[in-house]
Amino acid sequence: MPGFDFSNYNRNAALHARGVPLPKATSTGTTIVGCIYDGGVVIAADTRATSGPIVADKNCEKLHYIAPNIWCAGAGTAADTEFTTALISSQLELHSLSTGRKPRVVTCMTMLKQHLFRYQGHIGAYLVVAGVDPTGTHLFTVHAHGSTDKLPYVTMGSGSLAAMSVFETQWKPSLTRDEAVKLCADAIESGIWNDLGSGSNVDVAIITPDKTTLRRNYIKPNERTQKLKSYAFDKGTTAVLNEKIISKADLGNFVSVHELTEESGDKMEVDT
Amino acid sequence: MEFGNSGSLREDGIHLDMDRLKKGEVNLGTSIMAVTFKDGVILGADSRTTTGAYIANRVTDKLTQVHDTIWCCRSGSAADTQAVADIVKYQLELFAMRNGKPPTTQTAGAIFQEICYDNKDRLSAGLIIAGWDERHGGQVYSIPLGGSLHKQPYSIGGSGSTYIYGYCDANWREGMEEADAVDFVKGALKEAIKWDGSSGGVIRMVVLTAEGADRHLYLPDTDYKVRHV
Amino acid sequence: MTSIGTGYDLANSIFSPDGRNFQVEYAVKAVENGGTSIGIRCKDGVVLAVEKIVTSKLLKQSANKRIATVDRHLGVAFSGMIPDGRHFIDRARDEARAWRDTFKTPISTADLASRMGGYMQAYTLYQSVRPFGITAIVGGFDSTEAAPVDGEVGSGPSCGAGGKVLGKTHGGPFLYMIEPSGLYWGYYGAATGKGRQSAKAELEKLDLGGPAGPALTLEEAVKEAARIIYVAHDDSKDKEFELEMTWISGADGPTKGLHQEVPKALREEAERLAKKSLEDDEEEEPKEEKMEE
Repeated sequence: MPGFDFSNYNRNAALHARGVPLPKATSTGTTIVGCIYDGGVVIAADTRATSGPIVADKNCEKLHYIAPNIWCAGAGTAADTEFTTALISSQLELHSLSTGRKPRVVTCMTMLKQHLFRYQGHIGAYLVVAGVDPTGTHLFTVHAHGSTDKLPYVTMGSGSLAAMSVFETQWKPSLTRDEAVKLCADAIESGIWNDLGSGSNVDVAIITPDKTTLRRNYIKPNERTQKLKSYAFDKGTTAVLNEKIISKADLGNFVSVHELTEESGDKMEVDT
Repeated sequence: MEFGNSGSLREDGIHLDMDRLKKGEVNLGTSIMAVTFKDGVILGADSRTTTGAYIANRVTDKLTQVHDTIWCCRSGSAADTQAVADIVKYQLELFAMRNGKPPTTQTAGAIFQEICYDNKDRLSAGLIIAGWDERHGGQVYSIPLGGSLHKQPYSIGGSGSTYIYGYCDANWREGMEEADAVDFVKGALKEAIKWDGSSGGVIRMVVLTAEGADRHLYLPDTDYKVRHV
Repeated sequence: MTSIGTGYDLANSIFSPDGRNFQVEYAVKAVENGGTSIGIRCKDGVVLAVEKIVTSKLLKQSANKRIATVDRHLGVAFSGMIPDGRHFIDRARDEARAWRDTFKTPISTADLASRMGGYMQAYTLYQSVRPFGITAIVGGFDSTEAAPVDGEVGSGPSCGAGGKVLGKTHGGPFLYMIEPSGLYWGYYGAATGKGRQSAKAELEKLDLGGPAGPALTLEEAVKEAARIIYVAHDDSKDKEFELEMTWISGADGPTKGLHQEVPKALREEAERLAKKSLEDDEEEEPKEEKMEE
């Protein structure tokens, strides 16, 4: 029978209904935040990428370029955030070129939400969209199912609860640039220390009407330091219990050996 | 797709998921309402958006404008209701441009209904459409989960509405003055917020009359007494 | 016909050097040979009437209608080529249905006229088609009440809906005429076909316009319409004709907002009065001696 076979789908559904848990989808634990201040917007992220219980990358980049004046922090499935932001970035640049106007944050947010809604949550991208455009400073969150929120400060990812507690206790209206950066960095650090899925360093991006400043590894609270002792073992630490030497001639007793003759293959010729 | 934990297995082994929301989807566990009064119509809503037990947004705006004096209250999936409202907003703008006159609330209701009915097995959206126009005055239409359309003098919706059927039945009166209608909406939403765990935050309202749209905001800090904005 | 032989009249989509589309003008000729159609927009409704020439005694009486219902509240009469008119009506019904499907509310007379005007105009643009050989008169009564939504559950509440702008009226009777070029205007009274000249002269005598709106009532308009069709009929060329007449009133009028045929009794009374009026005219104005040279 030609075509696709969906019998495994029914099997999986049946197993699931009987209580067998489905295999865990790869989802990266993350802390990402964003905060508007007087004169711009700051977004920040931790740099841990995980694959199940394994730390897959200790210093990955979660701040994604969309346009010079629009950046995205991504949580969720790493591949999905990477490709979704790249796709929208490309479409937005073409749109900007054809209209002859600077790209707008709402345009970016709308394109993202419509793309993600079309895929009904199967694209696991959870994003913080931030930027400054001719209409002003903007900050949004976009969930994988396509819903969006507009708020003065936002957090997402597994560390969002830890990060939000920082914002909810320390945020105030009209922050300065330095205060906003400090607040975002503190929120990320809170995720790094208190959330298992987040860790390593803090990346920060500051977007103003004039320029965007990317502060890669703005804080490195998990620097590897010199070990107090050397853990290299001396030669001979492991005792040799016995030893057996097999000559080339006897090797044929253990494995099949073929001698390569001149005729057995074409010689490689090299132009001189 | 990840399944929720509830469900049943059919004879053919196909799993029926009873949950309307997909796992991890943003939910508008909500109290929403719209009420006609003497000069028009008032929409009201709480501001809580949840993902599971976490409040993803405590100051959500669930009152969405789809035309000058046609608005809707959203409940159910945030993604679904936002997508539907965006489509209807586009359709109504197109209607106004093509016909050189603003759409009526009926037309808006009809477009909402068509989308909700045609996609009823894909959407979890409970909507209340309210609008004012000079011919029909203030009107309220309710579109519950299956995609049917009901014209009502007032309508309540969302998880919090179950707690205020009695309150509304006892206190709603035809042809209220604006101030009385605002008090009625506020009183009902205060009760819904009090009893429903999925509702909370601020109370938002939009008053639609011949004067246009007027926004109200009431904060829990002052027990929803003082009007902000 | 100055155009003949110049080559500019051979197809649509070719302008003559002085900016005319001869195909459209020929279509107008087809209309001018058709039986007279008129429409009257009066105070409380619209009347449509046509002079249906009886081309054969073998045709069944009152069959082969030339006024059609397009939607509950809309009627179309036409003069010219009957098959073209039939197609026009089919399309008008499709448009009215499509509007209801999309917006769940009846199409207004103006919107139908606009859609059909656009449709007629499209047939003046392409090599592969010819223009419609008809002029259509579209009459309708747009509901003055709040229109219910198709598909709404139940009839809704009797209360609510506060804040209407008082004293402002909506809807009412409307009349449009669409020509083969696609041109359409709204009219107080419209006439087309063979006897249009005399029909128009008669229509102009009626009280249809003015700042206070038409004074003519629906019943009066029915009688006037019958009389005008009789006046416009040319006895010398066509021996016999049938009068076909429909009307549309508001929800509180005799047709309850529907487009319907005028009841037989009323039509016959109108015809009797029409004939009497013609006879009286002949008595009053004895035939003037023709001046001959």
